[in-house]
Amino acid sequence: MATLNLETVELSKKFGKVTALNGIDLAVNEGEVFGYIGPNGAGKTTTIRVLLGILQATKGSAKVFGLDAWKDAVEIHKRLAYVPGDVNLWPNLTGGEVIDLFVSLRGKQNKERRAKLLEQFDLDPTKKCRTYSKGNRQKVALVAAFACDADLFILDEPTSGLDPLMEQVFQECVLEQKNLGKGIFLSSHILSEVERLCDRVGIIREGKLVETGTLSELRHLTRITMTVATQSPITGLETLTGVHGIRTQPDGLSFQVDSAQVGDVVSHLAQFGVKKLESTPPTLEDLFMRHYDSANVGV
Amino acid sequence: MRSNFANSGKLVRFMLRRERVTSAIWIIVVALFSAGLAPAMDQMFSEPGARQQFGESINNPVMVAMMGPTYGIENYTAGAMYANMMLLWIIIAVAIMNIFLVVRHTRADEEYGRVEVIRSAPTGRLAVVNAAMVTAAIVNIILAIALGVALGVVGVESMGFAASMLFGFVVGIAGFVFAGIAAIFAQLASNRSGATGFSFLALGLFYMIRAAGDMQGNDVLACISPLGLAHRSQVYVENNLWPFIILLVEAIGCAVAAYALNAIRDLDQGFIPARPGRSVAAKSLLSPFGLAARILRNMTIIWIIVMFVLAASYGSVIADIPTFVGDSPEYLQVIGIPEQIVNTMTDADKAKIIVDYFGVFVISMMTLVALVPVINTALKIRVEEREGRTEQVYAAAVPRMKYLLGYVILAFVLSILIQFASAAGLYSATSVLEANPFTFDGLLQAFFVYLPAMWVIIGFTVLIVGLFPKTTGAVWGLFGFVFLVSFLGGMPGLLPEWLQNVSPVKHIPQLPLAEMTFTPLIILTVIALVLTVAGFFFYKNRDSVTA
Repeated sequence: MATLNLETVELSKKFGKVTALNGIDLAVNEGEVFGYIGPNGAGKTTTIRVLLGILQATKGSAKVFGLDAWKDAVEIHKRLAYVPGDVNLWPNLTGGEVIDLFVSLRGKQNKERRAKLLEQFDLDPTKKCRTYSKGNRQKVALVAAFACDADLFILDEPTSGLDPLMEQVFQECVLEQKNLGKGIFLSSHILSEVERLCDRVGIIREGKLVETGTLSELRHLTRITMTVATQSPITGLETLTGVHGIRTQPDGLSFQVDSAQVGDVVSHLAQFGVKKLESTPPTLEDLFMRHYDSANVGV
Repeated sequence: MRSNFANSGKLVRFMLRRERVTSAIWIIVVALFSAGLAPAMDQMFSEPGARQQFGESINNPVMVAMMGPTYGIENYTAGAMYANMMLLWIIIAVAIMNIFLVVRHTRADEEYGRVEVIRSAPTGRLAVVNAAMVTAAIVNIILAIALGVALGVVGVESMGFAASMLFGFVVGIAGFVFAGIAAIFAQLASNRSGATGFSFLALGLFYMIRAAGDMQGNDVLACISPLGLAHRSQVYVENNLWPFIILLVEAIGCAVAAYALNAIRDLDQGFIPARPGRSVAAKSLLSPFGLAARILRNMTIIWIIVMFVLAASYGSVIADIPTFVGDSPEYLQVIGIPEQIVNTMTDADKAKIIVDYFGVFVISMMTLVALVPVINTALKIRVEEREGRTEQVYAAAVPRMKYLLGYVILAFVLSILIQFASAAGLYSATSVLEANPFTFDGLLQAFFVYLPAMWVIIGFTVLIVGLFPKTTGAVWGLFGFVFLVSFLGGMPGLLPEWLQNVSPVKHIPQLPLAEMTFTPLIILTVIALVLTVAGFFFYKNRDSVTA
């Protein structure tokens, strides 16, 4: 059993009467990349702020490295690196100065790693922060984070301003840290990124965690898309349980099947002489879209 | 060619709309303040000949360097004296307004990416800078008319309506020249703070060129500066028009130069390249305290210099104060001399009494001004929090208390430094006098005795930052109240005694006139500490508020 890096139990946060978080249970292990996804305003950033000890939980507990996120914030932050979604820097400091500042506030500096990251991210550290674009400000925060010798990385939509090349560099950095056994908590809107990097995913919606598990676990709960071409026309498909959204294609039919019903459907199809059968697992986007649309919750 | 200016008109309307509060406040304050002083200067000298005498007394190199050459001395009317002493200061205020206005609409908007959006619409290449100059012109014309009318109707005999309008327009056109200068620096510099900084530097240089020219009686040198040129209008005496015309030509020249520079540069670029900064941070930056100090560094240095210069300029006039206020009972009251002393003082000790009271008045006023940067320093952590920058610092293993402590320590240290700078400034100016009315030790004591009151206000600020982070305006409310008590508290019946006692400054013994007493100082220091500690407690236990 891997050691827990981060854990929340029944975590709730209220701002006045507004409930921002409602009983969130999260866990991130060592050497694990956890993807945290959800629509805007769902409570992703609030969760992160509670984990950082910047906001105090109303109920429940938030622990990082087994320590209390609010009370032991400083002790925790010595081993934690953070990249905010909206990087605000001091206009009259240079990128290099900001990187040194953040790294040294956490602990020792590593000149080699800093130089390597600056080169990888193609960032000029002598420019004043006021002249950086959004992408470059994000690079400053990323270099500062990855230059730290941290055990847990909390990244809040860290790549929204990066170009595809830099996105690639970022993914390499994350995987490198993962292989070193570090925990990564990644909040993101870029689902292909989450799909590629994350071992486990949590989907938050209106302050509640609606799904959590490995990607294959999540997929198991959902429908598979099938496209089938047969010798004789298919009949009676709509009478089977667990089949949805039947559509006629040029060379056959396409439809969705609940994972549990796949066996029944395949044996039903066999009697019509299958010429071709394609099945695609749901993409993360499919999973995600279901939760965007409130009418479909719990399907 | 015309397409370069496409849609300037719409942009002007848009800019005027954005200016409707800021510029309106500037205009109203400048006009009312300037016009309000005119009758006061008129009534200052009741006896004929007294003003004449005063005019001769300020016709010395030091005063000429400060305010421009004295003119119309043969028949020194209130108008001549007013224009002589006030014109430059009003122009400087209006120049500052113009610099902020032009930079706000040009380089600042460019830096924030707004110009880009405007340029993506069918607007001309030069439309933004053109619209900013037209907007500045309109604002200056309104200001000129408001100021001219205000001075014209205020009812000073020697200040006729036509001449007052000339005064207004000389101020307006000189201000507009600085709009042009700011427009040039908005092209040359590559960012907002550079454009503002260079423009202020130019304003300072022109003031000094004029001072040097006036002191040496070198008119050509003085007229290189728009300030010197404006002063040559000799409003209310000669009423010269030619400086206005030359200034108008200069302003248009500046605008054309700015357009030309704008036409040959790329968006977001400047001709003075932004200096690349340090690639590696200095050791001194790498701590929560170092970061706070670095964030506040420039503001702190500028304020210390400003306070030193302000104190020195008060010091340089102090010897002339007895002549200046000598006959006016109102002035004697303004600087706080009690009525029974005014009635009983003899001519022999009059000058000394006036200088003593004026000294106390200056010290208490300097202290109140010093509160502005001190409060700003203590409030800075709240600004950092609101702009979303404390979050990353706290995520980097910095204890909240430690970061707050940095700002609070800096506020306390600044209070001491700034009082020291004021004392040094005042002393440096009076030390050249034949009979220096002050000793340095005495001044230092008189300034330092206010520290406990300043600390109470720091403590209050920390408490607000900790307890009510969204209502930091309360701190400025307290500041305004303290200001009111200090200056209007003496008026009988205006503010009840118990209310006045809320102001910490009220309990400070005003050295050297009052006896030194330690009890209120100790009590104030204890209150300051309690407020500060309470502020820390609440800060530690509250959420971060980014709104």
